[in-house]
Amino acid sequence: MSTVKKRSINHGDVNRFRFWFQIGAFVILVYGGYWALDISTSLPTFSCVFPSSRGGTCYLYPLQHQVNMTWKQFASPRVIGVLTAFGTFVFLFLLFNKAWCGFACPIGTVQDWITRLRLRMGIRPGVYTEATFNRLKVLKYVLLVLLILLPLGISNSLLGLPKFSHDVATSFCMLCPGRTILPIFTGDFSQLTIDFSSKTMTVLTGLGMAVLGTTLVGAFYKKRFFCLFCPMSALHYVFSKGALLGLKKDGAKCTRCGNCYRVCDMGIREIADDLERRNIVQDDCMMCFKCVAACPEEGCLKVTVPGLTVYQSTEEGFFARSASRLNHER
Amino acid sequence: MNVERQERVRKSAVKGLAMESMEALVQIRESFDENPKAMDYFYDLYHRTYCLGEWGNGKRPEVGTLCVQVPEELILAAGAFPRRLCSGSHAFDQVGSEFMPAKGCPVVKATVGLLQSRALPPLEEMRLVVNPTSCDQKKKAGEMIAEMGYPVYSLEIPPSRDTEEARAYWHRSVKRLSVALEKTTGQRITRKRLHEAIRTTNTARQEYRRFSKLRKAQPSPLLGKDALLVTNAYFFDDIESWTEALARLNLELERRVENKLTPAQKRAPRFLLTGTPPVFPNLKVPLLIEQLGAVIVADEVCSSNRLLYDAVTMDTPFLYDMIPAVADRYLKPCTCPIFDRNEDRKRKLLDMASDYQVDGVIYQAYAGCHLYEMEQQSMGRALTEAGVPMLYLETDYSPDDAGQLSTRVEAFVESIRNRQRKLEGGRS
Repeated sequence: MSTVKKRSINHGDVNRFRFWFQIGAFVILVYGGYWALDISTSLPTFSCVFPSSRGGTCYLYPLQHQVNMTWKQFASPRVIGVLTAFGTFVFLFLLFNKAWCGFACPIGTVQDWITRLRLRMGIRPGVYTEATFNRLKVLKYVLLVLLILLPLGISNSLLGLPKFSHDVATSFCMLCPGRTILPIFTGDFSQLTIDFSSKTMTVLTGLGMAVLGTTLVGAFYKKRFFCLFCPMSALHYVFSKGALLGLKKDGAKCTRCGNCYRVCDMGIREIADDLERRNIVQDDCMMCFKCVAACPEEGCLKVTVPGLTVYQSTEEGFFARSASRLNHER
Repeated sequence: MNVERQERVRKSAVKGLAMESMEALVQIRESFDENPKAMDYFYDLYHRTYCLGEWGNGKRPEVGTLCVQVPEELILAAGAFPRRLCSGSHAFDQVGSEFMPAKGCPVVKATVGLLQSRALPPLEEMRLVVNPTSCDQKKKAGEMIAEMGYPVYSLEIPPSRDTEEARAYWHRSVKRLSVALEKTTGQRITRKRLHEAIRTTNTARQEYRRFSKLRKAQPSPLLGKDALLVTNAYFFDDIESWTEALARLNLELERRVENKLTPAQKRAPRFLLTGTPPVFPNLKVPLLIEQLGAVIVADEVCSSNRLLYDAVTMDTPFLYDMIPAVADRYLKPCTCPIFDRNEDRKRKLLDMASDYQVDGVIYQAYAGCHLYEMEQQSMGRALTEAGVPMLYLETDYSPDDAGQLSTRVEAFVESIRNRQRKLEGGRS
């Protein structure tokens, strides 16, 4: 890449780029079906199955369906379908790593819009201690385990328990705010109800409504509130190490000034304080790259694909962004 | 102290300051060749203030600061003029010695002496003196300064900067300071004003970084004595004028770098200066180093690099986020030895040593500054392990030890030169 091109990229405002990219991704994932678009049914992002106009499907939905089979079936050719879907998911994920969260996820985007609304209204965010969140963060792994175990328990008896009701087949989807929020964007409000057809469904859809409320209110006071509990994010993290798109840190260049941590929407402290790890992607990271834009040290933080640095922190870029920002506010 | 005696002390301190300042300026200007033209702004500035006593800041109310951790953006946003009062004057050190412990730190003694003597006109107009609870001596000095009748604000600093608790504590502390400043000046710190203040200081820091980068050049386009004069002027100069003057100097230095011009000898050993802050007129050690033919290409001191290197980053343009953003700038990257762990200072020194391609590090500690005296051991060990020789100098503000210092620095410079020769001999 020519130096001029490289410089103009490193001077760029990644926040603005991301804002427009998210809108594009949202349109494709939520309305793509209108143009007969169907990217994949194993998307590593919350492209919810419920809006009929979706342009692709969130992998968690087929995953829950596919693991709903007996142990015997796991040894049958049926498993090929499971593995293909899984392979597709892993492949798609490895291409863009957790940037799926920061740049594509419709639920992430909606939360970012809610944050923008809050900023527009001049309301301050809630302040929480780091310890509280570290405790809550474990929940996403619990959800991930449950969303696999529950469907498994429909076809099999787990630990001698009676088999579960079919109502828990897509239990996570019932809880997920994607199901309740995204159809609204296509004019479909039908998910905003509690299903009283059975006890299980009543509980699940009731919880779903509660999650919806919590997500909306939570995201208003805490940026990307739901993402802290997202099982997709947990599943991502299992494969994150092998992904092509990377976020790299050079600890030797870090002054621990904390700029990156200060701007991080997910409150990831390691980005500033970890000087050892080169691959600095943490399980809550959504690869929005705000940290890279906030870092004033030459090449300390880098967005990479193998063999190439796509975007990196530079002193010049830092001051250029800071000045344009301050001019804008004037 | 009675009025008459106070007046006598004041007069003799003013005279003493003017004399030692003149002497330092003469040395800085005249014992070296090829001073950059753009340095004249700074030479004149020091002459006007320190020698002729023309201190002034226009019409803004004065707020004094006593350490590098005072967020000046807040002072600016409250409509006041931040003036760093840390003194490098032997005359004031002597005033302070009359009532301060004999084995105390000269920076603290001189600063307290300065305030005691009320020798400079701005002191009469101090609306607030912000004293961070940095080291014990400074902390306790706050009480003495308050007894002298100054309105002292004690800015609480956490003893650590690694934990979230410390950070939260500091955020609250800075928030309280902003309220106190508003009360002092009667001007509210608004979003807009804080923005302007951040813009002013960030521009200054950007210019400073450009300046530092130019000093990385081989050969160095500037001597360290001038660099320290520039950064030291930030203590009392109007920030915007300072930035403009530095921009002019940078232009001149850029031309020098292009033409490979240097005021030092072509093969002068390159040094990094660290330790207790050199503050004008006490540029004894840096001057001595450069008079012996070496050149200071970088520094890691709170009167220079630590004061100016870092910039504020904001996430959202609201006060609730901007004030903590400003606060973070003064805590997170600060490598002051008051903090319980200071690995970052070690890393910074090692990084600078290789970045500026230095041949050695000069570590100065004023007798009585226990923290820098204590840290020299671990810093020295880390540097030596990395193959960077370090010279540790214990000194103070008096001119008495010049001969002894000179011998030690000369030997150090000579050993570096020998090393260079050996390396070159090995190569050819």
